[in-house]
Amino acid sequence: MRILVVEDDAEAATAMVRGLTEAGHDVVHAVDGAFGLLEAQKGGYDVYVVDRMMPRLDGVGMVETVRKNGDQTPVLFLSALGEVEDRVTGLQAGADDYLVKPYAFAELIARVEALSRRRETGSVATVLKVGDLEMNLISREVHRAGQEIDLQPREFQLLEFMMRHAGQSVTRTMLLEKVWEYHFDPQTNVIDVHISRLRSKIDKGFDKAMLQTVRGAGYRLEA
Amino acid sequence: MRLPSLFRRTPFRLTLLFLALFATAAAAVLAWVYVASAHEARLRAEEAVRTEVTTLTGIYDARGFDALNMAVIDRTLSRDNFLYLLIDAEGNRVTGSLNVSPIQDYEGGTVWHTFPMTDTLPDGRVVRPQSRGVQMTLRGGEQLFVGQSLGDTEAYLERLTQALWGAMGIVVLLGLIGGLLVSRNLERAMGRLNRTVLAVQDGDLKARVPVRGSGDELDELGQGLNGMLDRLEASMASIRHAGDAIAHDLRSPLTRMRAKLEVALIDAEAGKVSGTEALELALVEADDLLKTFNTVLAIARLQAAAGSGNIPDAKRFDAADLAADLAELYEPAGEDKGLEFSAEIERGLEIIGNRPFLTQALANIIDNAIKYTPEGGAVKLRARRRSSGEIEFSVTDTGPGVPEEDRERVIERFVRLDNSRTEPGSGLGLALVGAVMEAHGGRIQLDEGPGVYNGHGPGLRVALVLAPAP
Repeated sequence: MRILVVEDDAEAATAMVRGLTEAGHDVVHAVDGAFGLLEAQKGGYDVYVVDRMMPRLDGVGMVETVRKNGDQTPVLFLSALGEVEDRVTGLQAGADDYLVKPYAFAELIARVEALSRRRETGSVATVLKVGDLEMNLISREVHRAGQEIDLQPREFQLLEFMMRHAGQSVTRTMLLEKVWEYHFDPQTNVIDVHISRLRSKIDKGFDKAMLQTVRGAGYRLEA
Repeated sequence: MRLPSLFRRTPFRLTLLFLALFATAAAAVLAWVYVASAHEARLRAEEAVRTEVTTLTGIYDARGFDALNMAVIDRTLSRDNFLYLLIDAEGNRVTGSLNVSPIQDYEGGTVWHTFPMTDTLPDGRVVRPQSRGVQMTLRGGEQLFVGQSLGDTEAYLERLTQALWGAMGIVVLLGLIGGLLVSRNLERAMGRLNRTVLAVQDGDLKARVPVRGSGDELDELGQGLNGMLDRLEASMASIRHAGDAIAHDLRSPLTRMRAKLEVALIDAEAGKVSGTEALELALVEADDLLKTFNTVLAIARLQAAAGSGNIPDAKRFDAADLAADLAELYEPAGEDKGLEFSAEIERGLEIIGNRPFLTQALANIIDNAIKYTPEGGAVKLRARRRSSGEIEFSVTDTGPGVPEEDRERVIERFVRLDNSRTEPGSGLGLALVGAVMEAHGGRIQLDEGPGVYNGHGPGLRVALVLAPAP
């Protein structure tokens, strides 16, 4: 995947470029919004990772311009500002996801990969398929190897998110934000319990466990 | 009072402006009085002259020129307020108090004329009062002039004018004095305000405007300014307090992290643990620190909000939805721990507040209940409208509970910053709940739970009470 990192903090940028490169991505770094814009105009990127506060052209300005130019490449905003209104203005500027600094590296990689996947599955598929697991978004039925699985509404949403990001690590924070729309860290392992419930429904009695725990990151649905 | 700067003072300039307006109005009144009086005097003189002429022409018509001549001679002597002149048909002066007619180019008919009359007073002064008279030609070709001095009226008008000028002078003088007094008073009051503002500008937040208690606008302004300063001082104090709290809350975990890293380093050097393990340990600590930091930041923000009286991002929403969502989120976690988790939620509990913060506060309470309730126990979440109309969230558990004598102290732990916050876990969580409730003007209540349940108890009931949306 080709990723443009726009970040003025040299150390943070170096760490990000290295981490993303090691995760198998092709990374280009721009030192501020103006250079970022210039680089973005060359095209060919799958995701832009943009720091919000930068000298000259800041992240909001850059993303607004990018969107005005008709460029729909997914954008992940990085920001030290985590209040509700900061998220709202960031997303209004045209960003697709918002990650508050400081973050765990696994979180960044998971989000970047989730964003690139989002573009691929932007089609209006009515049936999601991962291995022998099948989800009908219209009838809201789930089958594994032809066997019907009965899910609660939230379990259905959780599985839908996992299936849309099949093969990728998704973090607990991502699930809490995207499935429950909460932006805080519960002290109890609430997400783990929901996942294990879902796991017992889709994996129990089958040879292969699809819903896997990724150490230090979160979970992954594997075909 | 510095005179040169006086003219720059708003009150004095206003005084001058009003004086100018008054003077103009007085001058207009004066002019009107003058014109009206002069006109009136002329009319009265004309009326008198007309009566006299009627009498005299009556005499002439009835008894002829000689009788008229006698009458004019008689009147010239007896009536010194009238002017007479009788001229014969040849144009020679016959008799009268005037030597020549004031009307120089008289060509017959009845002609009215106003003219200055030169007169010498008994004390020798020469005056020239305005006079008004009429000249007419009689049937026999003789001419008669009768006039009257407007002197009395003139003198009256003159006195009136003088009096009015004098009055105007007094008005201007009093106005100036009044203006000076008013502007001096105002300047003193403004000076008090200005001095306070300057003192605050120079960094003395304790400076206050002395209030005289007169209850006028300036006093009100002073009181308003003082109120504003009180608020400002309080909110600055709370920010400073929050800063201290942040330093306090972060110093302990940072110290702990540093110590652990050092131990890990020693252990790694001794070959007891691998470098990777030490780093992983450090990461876990760093994550904990970040969580602490975020919570401390949230608490500081909420406390600042409580100081200013504004709830950040306040929206109107149904508290029942908030509770239902959290019940759904926590129910598996409760059951996973072997607890009976139940929720009883009334519908339509509208409140105004910051939903994310309130969610987090209630989540922290549920977290705590699940954490402290032993296996086999029960946790119940309720959201309801009290009979008082207030909205109440409550979480009841069957854990060990809190003895009655300690409840006050526990509530204080919710509200006050104290050492217990440095312990990892619930300390800060409860402080956050306290801050959220404080910012929302709500309160926390602790009560005994349902008593002994499955061998445990007596349990604890934590209630968050909020005002309903109006």
